[in-house]
Amino acid sequence: MAAYDWFFDLVGLREWCDAEKTQGAMSMAELMAKANGAAAETAWWDVPFPSLDTLNKSCGAVSRTRDFTVSIENAFLGVKDSLKAVLDPLTQPLSWMLDGALSLFVSTPWWLLIGVLLMITYYASRNVLVTIFVAFSFFLLAFIDHYTYAVQTLSIIFVCTIISVLLGVPIGIAMSKSNTFQRFTIPILDMLQTLPSFVYLIPLIFLFSVTESKLYGIAIIMYAIVPVVRLTDLGIRLVDKDVIEAANAFGMSSRQKLFGVEIPLALPNIMAGINQTIMMALAMVVIASLVSAPGLGTLVLRGIRNLELGVGLVSGFAIVLLAVVLDRVSKASLARINTAHSH
Amino acid sequence: MAIDSNQQQSGQQVKSVNAKVVIRDLFKIFGDDPKMGLEQVRNGVDKSDLLEHHGQVLGLRDINVDIGEGQITVIMGLSGSGKSTLIRHLNRLIEPTAGEILVDGVDVMTYSKKQLRELRQTQMSMVFQKFALLPHRTVLQNAGTAMRVRGEDEELINVEAYKWLERVGLKGVENQYPHQLSGGMQQRVGIARALTSNAPIMLMDEAFSALDPLIRTDMQNLLLELQQDLHKTIVFITHDLDESLKIADHLVILKDGHIVQQGEPQDILLNPKDPYIEDFVGDINRARVLRARSIMTPLNGSVPAEAQGQVDHDDTLESIIARSGGDIAHAYVVVKDGVPVGTLDMTVLLKSLVPRISSDNGVRNY
Repeated sequence: MAAYDWFFDLVGLREWCDAEKTQGAMSMAELMAKANGAAAETAWWDVPFPSLDTLNKSCGAVSRTRDFTVSIENAFLGVKDSLKAVLDPLTQPLSWMLDGALSLFVSTPWWLLIGVLLMITYYASRNVLVTIFVAFSFFLLAFIDHYTYAVQTLSIIFVCTIISVLLGVPIGIAMSKSNTFQRFTIPILDMLQTLPSFVYLIPLIFLFSVTESKLYGIAIIMYAIVPVVRLTDLGIRLVDKDVIEAANAFGMSSRQKLFGVEIPLALPNIMAGINQTIMMALAMVVIASLVSAPGLGTLVLRGIRNLELGVGLVSGFAIVLLAVVLDRVSKASLARINTAHSH
Repeated sequence: MAIDSNQQQSGQQVKSVNAKVVIRDLFKIFGDDPKMGLEQVRNGVDKSDLLEHHGQVLGLRDINVDIGEGQITVIMGLSGSGKSTLIRHLNRLIEPTAGEILVDGVDVMTYSKKQLRELRQTQMSMVFQKFALLPHRTVLQNAGTAMRVRGEDEELINVEAYKWLERVGLKGVENQYPHQLSGGMQQRVGIARALTSNAPIMLMDEAFSALDPLIRTDMQNLLLELQQDLHKTIVFITHDLDESLKIADHLVILKDGHIVQQGEPQDILLNPKDPYIEDFVGDINRARVLRARSIMTPLNGSVPAEAQGQVDHDDTLESIIARSGGDIAHAYVVVKDGVPVGTLDMTVLLKSLVPRISSDNGVRNY
């Protein structure tokens, strides 16, 4: 006699319950109840919450929670093939870009790559101290034989950040122009930002082969695109209304306004978004090593799997160093843009 | 009697000027159901009732103004009177609820988006209270904004921009950024930007209100000096009566979204129609604003022999008082372009300085 028998008797569903009874695999709880003999009457203060599993005991026609999760899985597997047929060719360029960047970064001689990176750093930040710090960091990483891993990580961040910006800035602009679009987009952004990063990987593993680099590419981009979208939207909405009115009063078209006024004035915010995007890409690239992303993350993973404490700690330190480098360089270039805009 | 004939005179003066922009029966109601609000307002519901019972805000009610070509038309009112709303209707930055706006006889309301952009690019330029310069562009680039929007040749733009920047007294700062300049200089850039567009109509929205008093006087003088050469059609918004009396050819006084009185400033000063305007006018130095032509007795027949001398018809009463040394027995012949047009008795002058009512029991509510 289960807790909610009376309910199904009362509403007259008893026959339907018995007729449709689903006989799933026996759960551990059921097995133990069986071993203990017949179920005792439950006292009124022990009445369980009427969950799917509890109701199933009273009425076999109600499906259990595990049947429910199985049906979700089956539904996903059902659309998987058609989804894959669409997404596979669409995302194929991402694999090429990731693989291309990876082999380019790794095959370039170390002295040339570090030289180019330092030049980019100086050009973006115009800051000698930051450039010296970046040089020091790379030489340190190379000295402890983490150069190749660091460069692999960097190449992935490089590609994913570029794609995030190329997609995120137009989405942000569209959001700033349309309140309706913004209303629909914000919940999606909230979801992308709060979903535990491992959960991203689960459907992706089913969709794409683990050997394909776009698997981790998509995961990183989905996670890292959020700040650049949000801050582009915010930046354009915050552009001084008086200046926009002046632009209108001089008869600017929407295109002239967007490229001549709104984007330049929103640039400090957009750059802050790009800085955040880079940092989130780095955070995700470590987790993505679970699905074959190369780089420093694989060393962390090795440290955890084999309990190699030293390997884990040193690679963790290398990730922090890389994060500081990326942050300082993007912050320094942001500061340069801010001084050009200061009022 | 003298004043009456003068009123007619100035009335004809206004009519003889060609109207560049004509505003007819303009209404603006802010709210979610402006049509309903419009009906209520046409049935005589006033601003506070409309807000209280219908949740709509009355912006403008039944505005009719002729803006004379080559004249400075000043629209004056306290904050909330709808003056900034009104000026934004001229280039349709704000859409009216009902009414017509004719520019050179063509109703702007019939314009498509493209025509409207063309109007803003070529016919009207605007100067803003908060300058609204592009912070990421140099002074030179800012001054050339209008021409760049029209897609003209970059070299030509720079030549024009240099020319107008020099004209407003900004030679040498062309390559600085707006934030490096003082407020007064930024507004000079704003004026240069409007002039470089070469549009015949200039809209100035509280252009000098954000500047300190000395700079403001400088800018008013600059505007008057420029206007002597350029003869633009200028619509100037201000909340400052002294400023409007100084620069206006035609003065429109707004209150709660409707026109209380409009006409030549001297007329308004001498014949305020409404306690609201009397109160306003009571605060100012009449001797400094009123001119001989407004209070003189028109000449009939010969020049009187007993006159102490000649004064110009545009002389202020202040300068005439100074000349008379305070002797109220004096009388002067008023001349215009060297020809006598009237006589002015010091006693008449003194009477004209008596304020209409005391401003102690004023009706202004701040």
